[in-house]
Amino acid sequence: MPRRKPGRERPQRPKREHHGEPGDAFRCVGCRMDVPMSAPGTAHRNHCPHCLTSLHVDHRVPGDRRAGCRGRMAALSVTVRGDGEWLIIHCCQSCGGLSANRIAGDDNALALLRIAIRPLSDSRLPVSALLAL
Amino acid sequence: MSANGKPRSIASTETFSCVRCGLTVAAHAPDGVRRNHCPSCLHSLHLLDECRSRMIPISIAVLRTGEWMLIHRCTRCGELTSNPICGDDNQLILMRMAVRPLAQPPFPLEAFGDL
Repeated sequence: MPRRKPGRERPQRPKREHHGEPGDAFRCVGCRMDVPMSAPGTAHRNHCPHCLTSLHVDHRVPGDRRAGCRGRMAALSVTVRGDGEWLIIHCCQSCGGLSANRIAGDDNALALLRIAIRPLSDSRLPVSALLAL
Repeated sequence: MSANGKPRSIASTETFSCVRCGLTVAAHAPDGVRRNHCPSCLHSLHLLDECRSRMIPISIAVLRTGEWMLIHRCTRCGELTSNPICGDDNQLILMRMAVRPLAQPPFPLEAFGDL
């Protein structure tokens, strides 16, 4: 879907290393979909646009390939940067490490929204505090 | 007696002061669990890796068990950590973090009303 606030985005780090041929594709470990490396809105696609699953290959910097874990990373939650960009927080299922990555323009909006409303959908204590205002 | 053999009354008098708001906080929550963040502003300190910088709360994650986890990011090294919330954590700040993504959606939410 199109971005709502174009023109306010931070300039991205240029992509220097290309893993394999440019325009290469990877296969998602979650849903087995073939995903092209090029993505609208980001130069650092690291998760499947359909099921948002990622693979634990990078350490700190996107694309550094310094994590030897290669575990499956499930989308844990969504956070917002100061400029309004959404980030997905992934949690590695084998080592428990966390990482954050910007969403891409073709990410599944319904899957993103399901993660974002998960805290609001359970009717435990914090929600009742908000309703008491 | 607590699990490490010390009497609980001594362990529960231990305090720390919050790096952001300066509140003096008991190091153990009322249910006996050791705290790692301030219950008032939810900020934390990066004690692993000798970094010792401030960690800001960025997001709420809900586990399959229904437990809420607070995700912190270190302001210096960018490391992410997750910790369970305490019963006496500031619920307005928790809710503000939970609704913040929905206040700034990257795509129009009107289409989801038809689903």
